Amino acid sequence: MAPTLCFNCKEARALIIRPKNRHKLCRACFLEVFETEVHETITTFKLFYPGERVAIGASGGKDSTVLAAVLKILNERYRYGLDLCLLSIDEGIRGYRDDSLETVKRNAKQYDMPLMIVGYGELYGWTMDQVVEQIGKKGNCTYCGVFRRQALDRGAARLEIKHVVTGHNADDVAETVMMNLLRGDLPRLSRGTSIVTASGASEIKRSKPLKYAYEKEIVLYAHHRQLDYFSTECIYSPEAFRGSARTLIKDLEKIRPSSILDIVKSGEDMAVLVPGETNPNGKTCRSKAAAEDEAEAGGCGSQNGRSSGGEMAAMETQLAENEAAGSRETEIRLPQQPKPGSSKTQKPIKRQVMGHCERCGYISSQRVCKACTLLDGLNRNRPKTAIEVSASMDDEEISSTLARQMEHTQLTNS
Amino acid sequence: MPAKELTRPCMDCKDAEAILTTRKRSLCSHCFKLFIQFKILRRMDGHKAPPKIQKEYLPSKLLLPLSLGVSSSVLLHILDWQLERQRSNPHSRVAYQLHVLVIEPSTISPSNSSFDSNFEGLQKTFPTHIFTRLPFYSVFEYVPEMKELILEYAGPQFADDSSQSDEARLAAFRGSVSSATSKDDLDNVLLTRLVVAFAKQDACETILWGDSDTRLSAKTLAGAAKGRGASLTWQVSDGMSPWGVQFEFPLRDINKPELQQYKSVCPELSNIVIPDQPIPDNILTKNLSIDELMMRYVETQGAKYPGVMANVSRTANKLQAAGSDDPASCALCGSLVGNVKGNTGITVASQFGESQGSQFCYGCSRSRPEIKS
Amino acid sequence: MAETATGSSTLPITVEFTGGLELLFGNERKHNVALPAQLKDGSQPNISYLLGYLVDNLMQDQRKDMFIMEDNVRPGVLVLINDADWELEGEEMYELQKGDNIVFVSTLHGG
Repeated sequence: MAPTLCFNCKEARALIIRPKNRHKLCRACFLEVFETEVHETITTFKLFYPGERVAIGASGGKDSTVLAAVLKILNERYRYGLDLCLLSIDEGIRGYRDDSLETVKRNAKQYDMPLMIVGYGELYGWTMDQVVEQIGKKGNCTYCGVFRRQALDRGAARLEIKHVVTGHNADDVAETVMMNLLRGDLPRLSRGTSIVTASGASEIKRSKPLKYAYEKEIVLYAHHRQLDYFSTECIYSPEAFRGSARTLIKDLEKIRPSSILDIVKSGEDMAVLVPGETNPNGKTCRSKAAAEDEAEAGGCGSQNGRSSGGEMAAMETQLAENEAAGSRETEIRLPQQPKPGSSKTQKPIKRQVMGHCERCGYISSQRVCKACTLLDGLNRNRPKTAIEVSASMDDEEISSTLARQMEHTQLTNS
Repeated sequence: MPAKELTRPCMDCKDAEAILTTRKRSLCSHCFKLFIQFKILRRMDGHKAPPKIQKEYLPSKLLLPLSLGVSSSVLLHILDWQLERQRSNPHSRVAYQLHVLVIEPSTISPSNSSFDSNFEGLQKTFPTHIFTRLPFYSVFEYVPEMKELILEYAGPQFADDSSQSDEARLAAFRGSVSSATSKDDLDNVLLTRLVVAFAKQDACETILWGDSDTRLSAKTLAGAAKGRGASLTWQVSDGMSPWGVQFEFPLRDINKPELQQYKSVCPELSNIVIPDQPIPDNILTKNLSIDELMMRYVETQGAKYPGVMANVSRTANKLQAAGSDDPASCALCGSLVGNVKGNTGITVASQFGESQGSQFCYGCSRSRPEIKS
Repeated sequence: MAETATGSSTLPITVEFTGGLELLFGNERKHNVALPAQLKDGSQPNISYLLGYLVDNLMQDQRKDMFIMEDNVRPGVLVLINDADWELEGEEMYELQKGDNIVFVSTLHGG
């Protein structure tokens, strides 16, 4: 079979088929187009200003590694005048973060950027290993997510940096859209697609320059630039492969490769159609619990958009109770049924007022922020620290034990 | 009346043997039917006759497109039952007139055999309604600009032969669409256009679509996946369509298995309903259309989590219709061209370059026959 | 590559696992694989055959469905044939050539 030539330069052998338009490109043209498109995203949404100091939330994984590499290139090529640095969070998961932090340290040298590492241990007095020891493996992702959001902000604050960029890609955004449809969560449906989230009070702006980049292209970019990244599943996140929304997205991609950006487009349109929401979604989404949102919207990249069976089951129970209550109600009020059209005139979605956590001063819609609430629970039970010995391991535990063993192998090998 | 000896009494009337369980309640066939009828009729509350004191009253005309599948057939059965009650009650008036449109299934998919006997059964079982049957290709007759439109849409690769019959030309167009997803997508667009054009010609103000809740949730997810999120406000929500005909989905509280149960206790439907052709289990995921994938997803997940799946369509029904100040609508499907006002996102379906994209919306651009590069 | 091991009956290729997939294959990224040059039915081994071969001979993890689904590569795993997207080369029907480099990259692992 004669090699296909690049759609762009018509000279070199095509190696890549672009998901968004099926164009076949050679290595050089692909790298160039990928970078140019990220540049277009940055300029269209005016993500940066000259001289701005920007921290790249770096995990050592593919997304943040590609983000750092591309931002370095673009900053030089287009003279953004940005002062870039890497900001990493050490969740304190031995075997998992140790290796990825090594990757980030190498990245810092390769890209000649300063690196700052903020640990859960020093910030909260709890590493994730200790959290898991206390609460078990179920539900620990909630802690990790909530802690991470604040950790990035606090790290940025220490560096006196007001803008953190993260490696969230189009697949992540599409997952969030599908997730929020499945969860029936309209407020998050309206916020989840924003490229910039700024929580007015904390003064730390967040943006996702890779929002329109397909995960597939990010991986290929890393491959063809031979970037140094670290990939593994979090040892505490055994559901990583089973998430409903994520599986759906990957199946969709197989059927119609463009569909990930098609979902992003749908999500952006629907965001405007959520009743009571007036903010233009493509631009800045101000406050309104954006802070707490981001925690939920992942960041570790292994739990993002993944609805575990447990979550769906819990929601099912809740909905069944609502339904039961609702049907009792309708039976009594038989004569005055609401008109079919009246479902359209429902109450606007409750707006949350942002204030500050009275414990730590972090931005929060509650009196006490989520992190402090979680910490309260942990600290109350601190003396207990019972080590759970499980008589029968279920699937989850088996798979995470396996993952842990693999981590050990990895450690001994390297 | 002496109490009957019942092994498993119906939880509602306690007077008959329960024959099935729905939403965790064991019911007899009579009470089960009442339950489903009640759920559907409360969705029809917007169509009421005014009190008898007012003299002048012309019942409104509603169009029910009937696929002869379980869902739309059950809808017809229940609406017929409602109208029958209104007719036989000397104190009430008939709220609306029902027009039933059947697009001949054999003209949609050749694997559907003749439905003449089903159509006859239909007219015999429901003699008081007006029935029309049309072939799919009559879309060219009802939407005169359609021939031009598909030529522009399909691009230079599609060779249209104007000497051919409408049937052959539609077949040629559908044949030019390569992927299962685009095929299903465009079929839905064309069928909607035909039904709407018929409704307008027939002066029907509302179309009652017979989508089960299961299908509405699947359509929500599929619509989002195909870049058609903005048009969910009329494609799965009750609302005004771009053509000025109201769309309503009275089955939105009832899922597919419940409609199957209903059919099973209505023997009169057995010679009307054409059984579904299930998607074979062994078909590879990548060969499914997005609509089929989502239907399969909602059906399998719905077996475990019916409430979660029902919540998907309920969520979509809460979205507000886009403002009408943006006049540009897709020549083919009627959706907005470009973004909903306020959306500054930069996704474009730019396969064909911006200049050509203006007439068609994002979703339709994605389903266009691929130009070989 | 070990050229000496190449008889007329074997087809030497290299197979790489990255993006987290290496975890399923003894945490080794690069593998030298010698396939039979001709299969029992007279055909040449293709990617489909390679997948079965890898699962039977190289995979050390029980979780086959992290790599294979519906008898093909799991959605979310990219396949590169000599650095080119396998879609350019005929996907699972591609007939392997001597010295080919086949890379499997997972996009499913966290970043």
